[in-house]
Amino acid sequence: MLYIGLDLGSRYVKAVFMAKDKVVEDRTYETLSFYRDFGRRVNNELIIDHQRLNWPPFKGLVSTGYGRNLLKVAGAKVVPELRAHAQGALFQTGLQDFTLLDLGGQDSKVVKVKDGRMVDFRTNDKCAASSGRYLENMAAVLGITLAELSECFEEPVELTATCAVFGESELIGQIIAGYTWQQLAAGVNQSIVKRVVPMAGELISPVVVFTGGVARNRAVGRLLREALGVEVIVPVYPQLNGAIGCAVLAAADR
Amino acid sequence: MAKKVGITTTVPVEIIYAAGWVPVDLNNIFIAGQQPGVAVEKAEQAGFPRNICGWIKGLYTTLLEQPGIETVIAVTQGDCSNTHALMETWQVAGIKVIPFAFPYDRDYDLLKLQMEKLMAYFGTGWEQVNRWKNRLDQVRKKAHLIDRLTWEGEAISGEINHLALIGCSDFNGDPDAYERYLDSLIVGANLTAKTAQPRRVRLGYAGVPPIVTDFYQYCEAYGAKIVYNEVQRQFAMPFAEPDIVEQYRRYTYPYPVFRRLEDINREIACRRIDGLVHYTQSFCFRQIEDIILRKQVKVPVLTLEGDRPGRLDARSRMRLDAFLDMLAA
Repeated sequence: MLYIGLDLGSRYVKAVFMAKDKVVEDRTYETLSFYRDFGRRVNNELIIDHQRLNWPPFKGLVSTGYGRNLLKVAGAKVVPELRAHAQGALFQTGLQDFTLLDLGGQDSKVVKVKDGRMVDFRTNDKCAASSGRYLENMAAVLGITLAELSECFEEPVELTATCAVFGESELIGQIIAGYTWQQLAAGVNQSIVKRVVPMAGELISPVVVFTGGVARNRAVGRLLREALGVEVIVPVYPQLNGAIGCAVLAAADR
Repeated sequence: MAKKVGITTTVPVEIIYAAGWVPVDLNNIFIAGQQPGVAVEKAEQAGFPRNICGWIKGLYTTLLEQPGIETVIAVTQGDCSNTHALMETWQVAGIKVIPFAFPYDRDYDLLKLQMEKLMAYFGTGWEQVNRWKNRLDQVRKKAHLIDRLTWEGEAISGEINHLALIGCSDFNGDPDAYERYLDSLIVGANLTAKTAQPRRVRLGYAGVPPIVTDFYQYCEAYGAKIVYNEVQRQFAMPFAEPDIVEQYRRYTYPYPVFRRLEDINREIACRRIDGLVHYTQSFCFRQIEDIILRKQVKVPVLTLEGDRPGRLDARSRMRLDAFLDMLAA
């Protein structure tokens, strides 16, 4: 029997189907088209109808994410976002003590987990620098793909503006100064690391579990390892971590 | 009719009453006004930068649009230094500005001198001021009882506690009516609330009062009980202190963060608080003091940032959810 975890992120909605403690399928939707295609307004609330999503029959559904206060998913139990992420990391790594670093579309989250329980956390506040959105913007300015960006870590150009918007004009200035695109891309990756290290450093553990879409960027992972001086683990499904946590909680709730 | 004087934060309000004037805490009428967000926008249209505290901008517009207030007491030390420029823009608009400074080192003589200068300006003396102190202390005692009913008996909600204490900065311009309002809250207290409910997460709130409007409802809807409002409690002068100069020396808000921390840690222990929300205003120097507060407070701390008037944004709600979830576990 299937349990579904649903993570309503700012850029993507992630659904994970789990059976017998294994991920059997996952689906990712662009957030806006997900709401447009599968949501309908009822009494001033956006309601997601999972029947229209053509999902297989399931026994439990748990959702979380940025949108969970804004919309209702029929038949779903809602859990706080950080609980879902901590649960996902516990499940994916089998570890009990670690610091979770999740860099998503617009969020940065750091969660300290001790003896399998969340004991403290930090998140970014009103700023989207150091998020996936920042990387997308910067890759677009450089005219490269996210995959190309994620290979660059050598000789990073120093970028001082940590703002996702002003960072663009600084990057353009550095292009004119004649640096190679690889050095510029490394600089972009380095600027993410510089931004999250103070936040992660406050709650550091010997092991950092790195999740979220940004964890797919190998260069950021490598630079993080160097900057934090600890082991950095990227689980098998970094971007699905929150959804996996939800599915695990759905199964535990049976 | 008595003349009104605006205040930018809590000042020795006894002096104003003793002189026969009516104090108006501009913060309260700004945030309780019809459209606080519009007040901020109007200040920006007048040229205030976007990256300046929303309270400063709100106060600017609120005073200029408030009929019958031509004089303001602006706190130039012990509160935000943006007040200096705020008072200058008011002066340009024709407002009479009286500066008042809480000495950083809490020097008794300097504070006394500041109070005497204020008394001289308003034409009053120690005898009348002390008479008013006695009268206002009677009203404050009611506010202290409401505070006690909040944390000890959970008989008053965190939001009512916030409103009852915060109003003690100016007693809404009418201490007798304010006392009746406090009496009505005491009569209406739900003395059986604590026994009727399962154990809830006990939250403390530190920092300036929130610019967001639904913080208390949100936390209490998610099963938390707010049993401590740090600065609001200070506005009600919580220490029984017969000497009025000493009273405003013991008042923690305008002085170094270490005084506040002593008070916060004492109340955390006394009120059995599980976690503390430290609210800071965007662009405020108190965001720097947050570094110290986080290190020296004995329970988990969530730093919450607010910018403009309105409801909690999605990110703040997510952070509060996680904090309450963690404390409840």
